[in-house]
Amino acid sequence: MDFVRNFPLFSILLPMVSGPISSVMSGKKAKWLNYAVVAVSGLLSVATLVYVLNTGSTYNYSMGAFPAPFGNEIRVGVLEALTATFFCFVMLLSLIGGYRFTKVDIPEEKQNLYYIMMNLLLSSLLALIYTNDMFTGYVFIEINTIAACGLIMIRGWGRNLLAATKYMIMSLLGSGLVLISLSILYGITGHLLMEPMHEAIVEIMENKTYTEPLTVAVGLFCVGIAIKSALFPFHSWVPDAYGYSTCASSAILSSLVSKGYIFLLIKFFYRVIGTDIIHQIQVDDVLFVFGIAGMVFGSISAIQQTDVSRMIAFSSVAQIGYIYMGFGLNTEAGMIASVFHILAHATGKSLLFISLNSLSDGTWEYANYRKLRGAAYYHKFAGLGFAVGSLSMVGIPLLAGFTSKVYFAKAAFGVDSNPKMLIALVALAISTILNAMYFIGQTINIYTPLSVEHEPGSVKHSASARVAVVLFILINLVLGMGSDPVIRWIRTGLVHFGAIIKIR
Amino acid sequence: MLGPWLIPVTILVPLVGALLLMIPAYRKNISVVRTTTGAFVAATGLLVVAVAMLGEAECEFLEILPDMPVFFRSDRTSVWFSVLTVAMWMCSTVFSFEYMKYEKREERYCVFSLLALTALMGVCFSGNLITTYLFYEIMTFASFPLVLHEQTKEAVSAGLTYLYYSLAGAFLGLVGIFFLYRYAAPRTVSGGLLAYAAGGFLRTDLTDSERSLLTVVIFLMLIGLGSKVGLYPLHGWLPKAHPVAPAPASALLSGNITKMGILFTVRILFFTVGPDFLRGSWAQYALLGLSLLTVFLGSMLAYREKVFKKRLAYSTVSQTSYVLTGLYLLAPVAAVGALLHVVFHSIIKNLLFLCAGAVIYKTGRTKVEQLKGIGLIMPVTMVCFTVGGLALVGIPPFAGFISKWYLAAGALDTDTGVLRFLVPVILIISALLTAGYLLTVSADAFFVPRKEGEAEEEKREEPAKGPEVSLKMLIPLVLLSAAALAFGLFPGVLTDFLNGIMDVVF
Amino acid sequence: MSAYWLLVPLLLPIVGGAVLGIVKPHSRKVMEITVMTVTLLTSLCVAVLLWVRPSEEAFILQLAERLTVKFFLDGSSCVFAGLIALLWPIASMYAIEYMSSEEHQNTFFAYYTITYGVTLGIAFSANLMTMYMFYEMLTLVTIPLMMHGLKYKAVVATRKYVRYSIGGAAFAFIGFIAIAIYGETLDFRLGGVLTGASGNRTMLEIVYVMAVMGFGVKAAIFPFHGWLPTASVAPTPVTALLHAVAIVKAGAFAIIRITYYSFGVDFLHGTWAQYTVMGFAIFTMVYGATKAVKEQHCKRRLAYSTISNLSYILLAATLMTPAGMSAAFAHMLAHGVMKITLFYCIGAVNVKAHKYYVWEMDGMGKRMKLIFGVYSVAGLSLIGIPPMIGFVSKWDIGNAAVAEASPFAYAGLVALILAALLAAAYILEIVVRAWMPREAEKTTDTVSTGETSAQETSVQEFLPVGWRMRLPLVLMAIAIVVGGIFSVPILRFLADVAMGIR
Repeated sequence: MDFVRNFPLFSILLPMVSGPISSVMSGKKAKWLNYAVVAVSGLLSVATLVYVLNTGSTYNYSMGAFPAPFGNEIRVGVLEALTATFFCFVMLLSLIGGYRFTKVDIPEEKQNLYYIMMNLLLSSLLALIYTNDMFTGYVFIEINTIAACGLIMIRGWGRNLLAATKYMIMSLLGSGLVLISLSILYGITGHLLMEPMHEAIVEIMENKTYTEPLTVAVGLFCVGIAIKSALFPFHSWVPDAYGYSTCASSAILSSLVSKGYIFLLIKFFYRVIGTDIIHQIQVDDVLFVFGIAGMVFGSISAIQQTDVSRMIAFSSVAQIGYIYMGFGLNTEAGMIASVFHILAHATGKSLLFISLNSLSDGTWEYANYRKLRGAAYYHKFAGLGFAVGSLSMVGIPLLAGFTSKVYFAKAAFGVDSNPKMLIALVALAISTILNAMYFIGQTINIYTPLSVEHEPGSVKHSASARVAVVLFILINLVLGMGSDPVIRWIRTGLVHFGAIIKIR
Repeated sequence: MLGPWLIPVTILVPLVGALLLMIPAYRKNISVVRTTTGAFVAATGLLVVAVAMLGEAECEFLEILPDMPVFFRSDRTSVWFSVLTVAMWMCSTVFSFEYMKYEKREERYCVFSLLALTALMGVCFSGNLITTYLFYEIMTFASFPLVLHEQTKEAVSAGLTYLYYSLAGAFLGLVGIFFLYRYAAPRTVSGGLLAYAAGGFLRTDLTDSERSLLTVVIFLMLIGLGSKVGLYPLHGWLPKAHPVAPAPASALLSGNITKMGILFTVRILFFTVGPDFLRGSWAQYALLGLSLLTVFLGSMLAYREKVFKKRLAYSTVSQTSYVLTGLYLLAPVAAVGALLHVVFHSIIKNLLFLCAGAVIYKTGRTKVEQLKGIGLIMPVTMVCFTVGGLALVGIPPFAGFISKWYLAAGALDTDTGVLRFLVPVILIISALLTAGYLLTVSADAFFVPRKEGEAEEEKREEPAKGPEVSLKMLIPLVLLSAAALAFGLFPGVLTDFLNGIMDVVF
Repeated sequence: MSAYWLLVPLLLPIVGGAVLGIVKPHSRKVMEITVMTVTLLTSLCVAVLLWVRPSEEAFILQLAERLTVKFFLDGSSCVFAGLIALLWPIASMYAIEYMSSEEHQNTFFAYYTITYGVTLGIAFSANLMTMYMFYEMLTLVTIPLMMHGLKYKAVVATRKYVRYSIGGAAFAFIGFIAIAIYGETLDFRLGGVLTGASGNRTMLEIVYVMAVMGFGVKAAIFPFHGWLPTASVAPTPVTALLHAVAIVKAGAFAIIRITYYSFGVDFLHGTWAQYTVMGFAIFTMVYGATKAVKEQHCKRRLAYSTISNLSYILLAATLMTPAGMSAAFAHMLAHGVMKITLFYCIGAVNVKAHKYYVWEMDGMGKRMKLIFGVYSVAGLSLIGIPPMIGFVSKWDIGNAAVAEASPFAYAGLVALILAALLAAAYILEIVVRAWMPREAEKTTDTVSTGETSAQETSVQEFLPVGWRMRLPLVLMAIAIVVGGIFSVPILRFLADVAMGIR
C-alpha cells in the first residue's frame, strides 16, 4: 500500500493532536503551530489529490484492524481530496487575513484557546469530508459545532455571547435531529457504514418494507443539516453569528463550516440513499423550493441591513440557497454546479469578510453603511477586495461567481421538467439583480469620495490582510477564468463518489 | 448639351436669392432686399419660359437612395404648373413690396418666399416620386414661416397646425411611396425605379390581394396629399392659416401651394399608377365622395363665414376640390377641366386675396360686414374683386365657365353611376353659393352706403395717402383680372396644350 | 494583418484612462491633451482596422469549456465600431469644455475614456461570451460617470440604472446559456447557430424573448425604459454619448447579434416570439414619442425621443430579414449622430445660458444662432425630412417593413409614421419657439412682451460658447446633411453586411 494513502488520516489526526498541545503554548507559538498544521494538512491533501488523480480511482481506508462492515472506514476520492485541499488553503488564508483582528479582538491569555478551536475545527472538517461512516460523521458534526461555537464566543462581547448561544441552540437542535435520523436508519438497516447501509436501503425500497421510517429519517437528516448549514428558513442564527465574530471566524464559518455539513449531505444522498430514491421520496423538490426561497429572501433581507457585516452574512444565506437549488435539480450537472459553488463562494465570502473588517477597522461600530463611505480610499487593497468579492457574488464574468452561475443555468436547462427549469432560471436572474442591489450599492458606497477627512488615528494597515486579499482575488480569478480542470475533477469525483450507484 | 441643366438652375436661382438675403449685412436696407427679391423672381420667370421652350428635357442628379436619384424632367405638366406658379409669384411679390410696409421683418418674409419658390419649382420639375417628395417636404418647411410671420398667438398656432397637417399628409404620401417602390415594374430608365411614366409604371402581374392592398395604400396616400389641397378630412389647417398670414402669403398659399398637392395627385394618378388602376374601384368612389363633399361643405362654410379672409379660405377649400373631382373621375375631358381650373382658380384666388390685402392695408378692415360701401373708397380694387367673383362663379365670358363646363361634361361622360349626375348638380349648387359669398360682397361694396357710427375695428392709424392704394398693389390686381377675362375668351391655347398631355396619359 | 491588432484600440483607451485616473494631473491642459490624444489615436487605429480588415479572430483566453473570449471584426463589428470611433473624439472635445467648471474632472475623464475601450470590446466581440462580459463591464464602468456630481438625484438615478442594467443582463444571461447549451457554438455566425438543435422549441423561444427584453433594458424597450429619462440628470456629455450612443446602441447591437447571429432568423422568423418582441418595439416607438411631446424638460424630452428611436432600430431588427437588419444598422448610425447633436445643442444651452425647459427657449434662436441652427438641422433630420440621414434610415425601415408584408410589419409602418409625426411635434416646438416665438400684442415697437424669460435674460449675460463646443456641432450638422445626400454607398455596405458578404 502506498504511503500516500495514509495522508488523509494524517491530515485529520495532525490538527487533532496539535490542539491539545496548543493548550500549553503561548498565543504566538500556538498561532504558528496552527498555521503550520493547516499548511501541512493542505499539502497532504494536495498530495492525496495528485495521487487519486493519477490512479484514477477512489479507495477505502480502514481505520484500525477491523475491516468493514464492522470497523470504521474513510473513503478518499478526487472530490474529497479536492475539497480538503481547498478547505485547508481557504482556512489558512482566512487565518492570515484575520490575524490582526485576532490579536485585537481576543484577550492575550485566550489566544491559544482560539487556535485550539481552530485545530479542532480543521480536524472535524476534514473528517466530515473523508468519513465513510455515518456515526463518525455525527461525532465530528458535534465536534465541529463546539469548535465553531468557541470561535464565535471567543470575542467576549455581549453580542457575541448572544450570537454564540443562538448558534449553539440551533446547531444542537440540528445535531439532535441528525442523531434521531441516524438511530432510525440504524434501526432499519442495521449498519452504520455507508455502503452496507445503502445496500440495505435499496432492499428496503424494493420490498417496500420500511419506507415510511426511511422517509422520516431522510427528512430529519435533511432538516438537521439544513439548520446547521443555514438553509432558509433555518437561517436566523446566521447574521449574528457571522456578523459579530472576529474576522477570521466569520470568514471560516461562512465559507467552510456550513459547507462541511453540506458535503456530508452530498455523501448521504449519493452513497447512502441513492439519488433515485431521493427523487422518489421527493426530497429534491423540497430542497429545491427552500433553496429558491433562500436565494430570494436571503438577498431581500440583506438589502434591508444597515450593518454591512450582517448584510454579507445574509448574502451567505442566499448563496447557500443556490447550492440547495442545485441539489434540488437532482442531476449530475446540478451537483457539479453546487460543488463548484461551494468552492467559488468560499473564495468570495472570505474575501468579503476580510476586506470588510479592514475597511471598518475591525470595530463593529464602523461597519455601518454610512460610516463606510469612502473607506476604500484609505484601505486600497481592502477596497479592491471588497469590490472583487461583490462582483463575484453578483456574477460578473471573469470571476468565480460567474462560472457558478453558468453551471447552475446549464444544469437548469438539463432538467426534464419545464416548470422547474423556468423557475430556476428566473430565480437565478432575480437573485442576480438582488445581489447587485446591495453589493454594487455597497461597492459604490465605499468608493464614493468624502470631503471629510477620515480620523487618521484609526487607520491601520495590516500586511497579512493585504496578502490574504491578494491571494483570494487571485484564486477567485483562477476559478473564474480557468475553471475547466476543476470542473473536470469535480465531475470525476462525483462519478466515483457514487460509483456504486447509478447517477441520473 | 446645356439645355437640360436649365432645369436645376431654375430651381436654384431663387435659392441663391434666399441665401443672399440671409447675409446680415445685406438685409439692412429694405429697398435692396426688395430689389433683390424682385430680380430673382423675375429671373426665375425667364428661366421657366426658357425651359418651357426646351420641350421635353431631363436632368439626373446623384442617387440619394439606392436606385432613386434626384431627377428632374420638364414635360407639359411641369410647364403648366411652373409657368403658373412663377407668374403668380411675380404678382404677389410686387404686391408685397407695398403691403409689407406695415409688417415687421419683411426681410424674413422675402427669404422664405424665395425658399418656397425654390421648393415649388422643385416639385414642378421633379421627374420621380422621391424628388417630388423631397421638395414637397422642403415646401412645407419653407412656407410655414410665411403663415407664422406675424408671430401672434393665433399665427403661431395656425402655423404649427399647418405644419403638422402637412407633415401628416406627407408621411401618408411616404407610406404610399414605400409600397409603390415595392410594386413598381422593374425597368431601367433614367430617373430610377420611381420615375414618372405617362400611364403609370406599376407591375402588370399583381395578384388580387396585392391589388387590394395597393388600392388601400393609394387611397390613403391621396387623402394625405389631399391635405395640402384642402380635401376633407384633412383640410383643417386651411381656414386657420389664411386669416393670420399676410395677404400676399395667403394668396400664394391658396393659389399655388395648394396646387402642388394637386400636382402630386396628378403625378400619382396619371404617371404612377395610371388612370386604369383606380377606375371603378371603391377608392375612386370614396375619393369622389370626399371631394364632392368638400366642394359643398367649403362653399357652405364660406357663405356663412364673417371674416373676409377666412371666407376666401373656405372658398379655396371648395374650389380646389373641384379640381380633385375632375382628377378623380379619371377621364380625359374631366382632367382637362380640372387642370384648366387649376390655372383659373389660381389666378382668381390670387386676385381675390390680393384685393382683400389691399382692403386691409388701406382700411384695416377684416370682417365682411365692414366692407359695405368700400367700393366708393377703393373702386379699382373692388372692380377687380368683382371680376374675380364673376369668374369664380363661372359666368361667361370669364374664365371659370370653361373649366366648369369641361368638368361637368367630363363627369357625364364617365361611367361612374349616379355620380355622373351628382357632379354637375353639386357644381351648380356650389356656383350659387359662390355667388352668394362673393357677389354679395361686391354688391355691398358698391351699392350699400356705410352707416356712420358703425363699429370700426382695427382701423389703421395712418391710412395710405390718396383715395386708392398705390400702383404697386394695383397693377397686379388689374393684370390678374385681365387674365381672368382673357383666358375666358380665348381658352383654346390652354386646352390644346392640355389635350397634348391627355393623349399621352390615357 | 494579425487580428491581435484589435487589442490595440481596445486596450489603449482603457490603459490610458486608468493612467489618467491614477496619476490625476493637476494641470487641466495636460488632462485635456491626454484625453484627446488617446481618443484620437484609438479612433485612428479603428479606422486602420476597418480599412485593413483582419480575416481571423483573436483568441484571448478560455474561461471554461465552451466559454472563450475572442475578438473578430466582421461586418456588423465594423458598423458599430465605426460609429463609436467617429463620435468619441468629437464627444470628448465637447465634454472637455462642458466639464470645465466641474470637479473631479480627472476621474470623470478617466472613466469616460475607459468606457470607449469597453464599448469597442462589445463591437469587436466574436462570440456571445465576450459580448456578455463587456456588456456587464460597460454597466460597471459607466457607474462613476452617472454618479458624477454625487448629488442625491445622481445617486438615485445611478441606483435605478444599476438595477435595471444588471437585471437586464441577468435575463440576457439566460439566453446566453441557452445558446451555450443548444447552439453549435457560442460564436456569432450569420444565420444563427441553432441549426439542428435538439431541445424544446417553445422553451428556446421563451428564452429568446427573455434575452431580447434583457438586452433590451439597455435599449430602453418598454417596460424597461424607466432608467433612461431619470438618467438625464447626468452631465450632458454623459447623457449624449452614453445614453444616446454608446450604452443604448450597445443594447440594440446586442439584440441584433443574438437575433441574427446566435438564435438566427430561420429559427425565429414567423414565431410568436418574433411577434412578441416586435409588438414591444412597436409600442415603445409610439409610447416614447408621446411621452416626449408631453415632457417639458428639454433633456428628458430628448431621452424619451431616444426611447422611441431605439425602437425604430428594434422594429427593423425584429423584422428578421436582411433588409431589416441593414435598416436597423442604418438607423443606428443615423440616430447616433443626430441624437448626440441634439443633446449637445441643448447641453450648450443648459450650461451657457442656464435654461433647461422648453418654455425657456423662446427667442433663443437669435442669441445662440449656431446652436439652434444646428439643432434645427438635426431636428429636421430626426423627423425624417429628406435629404438628411434621418430620412434615409426611415426610408430603409419603411421599405423593409413593406417588403416583409406581414400584419405586424404594417403595424410597424403605422407606428413609424405616428412616431415621426409626434417627433415633428416635440422637435419643432423648440425650433419654432427659438426662432419665431409668440408675441403677445401686435405692437409697432419691436420689443416683444410675450414669454418673460427671453426678456429677463437680455439683462443676464450668457457664457460664450467656445470653439470646442461649436466645432463638433458644425461637424455633426455637416455629417447629417452630407451623409444623407451621399448615403448610397453606406446603404450598399449595410446591405452587404446583412447578406453576409462583408
